[in-house]
Amino acid sequence: MAKVEVDAPPKGGFSFDLCRRNDMLSKKGVKPPSYLKTGTTIVGLIFQDGVILGADTRATEGPIVADKNCEKIHYMAPNIYCCGAGTAADTEAVTDTISSQLKLHRYHTGRESRVVTALTLLKSHLFRYQGHVSAALVLGGVDVTGPHLHTIYPHGSTDTLPFATMGSGSLAAMAVFESKYHEGLSKDEGVKLVCEAICSGIFNDLGSGSNVDICVITKGQKEYLRNHLSPNPRTYVSSKGYTFTKKTEVLLTKITPLKKLVDVIEGGDAMEE
Amino acid sequence: MDLNAPHSMGTTIIGVTYDGGVVLGADSRTSTGMYVANRASDKITQLTDNVYICRSGSAADSQIVSDYVRYFLHQHTIQLGQPATVKVAANLVRLLSYNNKNMLQTGMIVGGWDKYEGGKIYGIPLGGTILEQPFAIGGSGSSYLYGFFDQAWKEGMSKDEAEQLVVKAVSLAIARDGASGGVVRTVIINSDGVTRNFYPSDKLPLWHEELEPQNSLLDILSAASPEPMNI
Amino acid sequence: MSIFEYNGSALVAMVGKNCFAIASDRRLGVQLQTVATDFQRIFKIHDKLFVGLSGLATDAQTLYQRLVFRHKLYQLREERDMKPETFASLVSAILYEKRFGPYFCQPVIAGLGDEDKPFICTMDSIGAKELAKDFVVAGTASESLYGACESMFKPDMEPEELFETISQALLSSVDRDCLSGWGGHVYVVTPTEVTERILKGRMD
Repeated sequence: MAKVEVDAPPKGGFSFDLCRRNDMLSKKGVKPPSYLKTGTTIVGLIFQDGVILGADTRATEGPIVADKNCEKIHYMAPNIYCCGAGTAADTEAVTDTISSQLKLHRYHTGRESRVVTALTLLKSHLFRYQGHVSAALVLGGVDVTGPHLHTIYPHGSTDTLPFATMGSGSLAAMAVFESKYHEGLSKDEGVKLVCEAICSGIFNDLGSGSNVDICVITKGQKEYLRNHLSPNPRTYVSSKGYTFTKKTEVLLTKITPLKKLVDVIEGGDAMEE
Repeated sequence: MDLNAPHSMGTTIIGVTYDGGVVLGADSRTSTGMYVANRASDKITQLTDNVYICRSGSAADSQIVSDYVRYFLHQHTIQLGQPATVKVAANLVRLLSYNNKNMLQTGMIVGGWDKYEGGKIYGIPLGGTILEQPFAIGGSGSSYLYGFFDQAWKEGMSKDEAEQLVVKAVSLAIARDGASGGVVRTVIINSDGVTRNFYPSDKLPLWHEELEPQNSLLDILSAASPEPMNI
Repeated sequence: MSIFEYNGSALVAMVGKNCFAIASDRRLGVQLQTVATDFQRIFKIHDKLFVGLSGLATDAQTLYQRLVFRHKLYQLREERDMKPETFASLVSAILYEKRFGPYFCQPVIAGLGDEDKPFICTMDSIGAKELAKDFVVAGTASESLYGACESMFKPDMEPEELFETISQALLSSVDRDCLSGWGGHVYVVTPTEVTERILKGRMD
């Protein structure tokens, strides 16, 4: 009898089942698909009492703006956040897996996560996939050893810097940092500089756009400022709204009423023995 | 310009032995394609208290190799109960470089001091060969330096002579090699321990046709009223 | 040719006031030749959760089978239906598992969550979630759908108006796409009922 394969939920890791078929298709001249990218501006800097991370909010798919207000500052641990650029699925997956590993590690040790731990986990994951998992990250956080800021490249190399930029808008943002960054910035100065750097990416880089997200991490607390600035509001809203003169022609209508769910009342009488 | 190019260190790295120890030197530029991703990187990485490594080539590969070697050397130090020798460190680097030669794009120079052999420099180029040398140079900037070292390196230099030689050589390579730049970092290792030095660009000698460093053009323009232009 | 253009498709989902609508075209083609005109691209996961699968039809059907399978396992284990957010994460995980050999399929998920709050979301073929408050689109007609929805959508529409808006957006968009069309299939879901309608459209 033929072996019956049951499609049980996988235990994790990648599956390469469709690679041969997809290879065959691309040899026949079929273009491989394009993925959701975050042609991005992400930045981070160290200020006098912590770290500030910043990001724009545009996601693109080729020349199309796929999402006008996506989140690129990902949670890693209560005291660590991470900005992601590159293929959206990869940045999302890699930050999610490492953040769950960090949580298990916190349960195991009973201590606050350190930024270097996150850094090492991220770089070993990315190095293992030799740059095929294309996530470029700016990792920032404050731990028991103070504020830290790192950049991580898709191939798994890392840098430690007082100010960092990544993504397609990194050049525009770095120009702002290089001319205005100095040591011992106050929180307000830092937030202003990060805004300026992200805005220079938003306005000068086509892959970046929409709003500015910011995350300020200091010892023992954090502030996630979602859409801190919205320099590109919609200007073309019609006040009347759309009306349709002719009703849509419907061939068939089927209405299914939904059953009300039965409420289960907890408690009641115990069963007699 | 390719920002997706692997992050690599078009580099100048140097290791020189002298009477009583070694001097390691490196520039501080890390680039992705044509973009300088980091202008103040540290390419001289600590392996143990008495052994350091200069890294060139792919940043990811060289970081992984040095992270593994540092981990192995820590274990080795605990098992042995005394500091690892430079030879052991260099052999571990060689082992990883040779066994994974198809995966790795990195050349390294291991230098340090131990009580058995004193200051030693080992060059471990691309394929995983190991070369014990009185001086070693590596990275893209090294091609400008072979002749210079043949002429300038002398047996039995003093510590200061050796460091000055390293700084001079790295600054020469920075001047000619587009992939090297930034500042010069040195590490001196001898029986007394380790000294790290840092030479920013305004402390480096000027070579043929190089210009004096100056403040930003914007500062100059705003500081004094510029001379009006005449025809 | 991109593999997403092999069969042709148009998918859109919109949020209204305590309700949502999800709509697709009905064409199945092999490149420019139309093969079927009653093709199903929107599937019911449970009463208040629908998934539309654009892209290569074979992958859409395979993926649908796996999703139903995983949802049934969940129902057996948990004795309840999945929340739309949970289901979106499941789809994302299933797609990302095949990161290096993906299903050529871009899903649209729409459902009513806790307290009948509408939820819509789309993904690329490797599971990068894109959550939206207003509308999401997918398929070969996505570019024209973006434009149509961007101007026709307004927040907090009642079910009837929502139906008109999504239908008009769909029909006007597929008329500018060779690879999708032949009418539409629209589901409008409110907390009390599901209304399924078949739309008449151009037959060329």
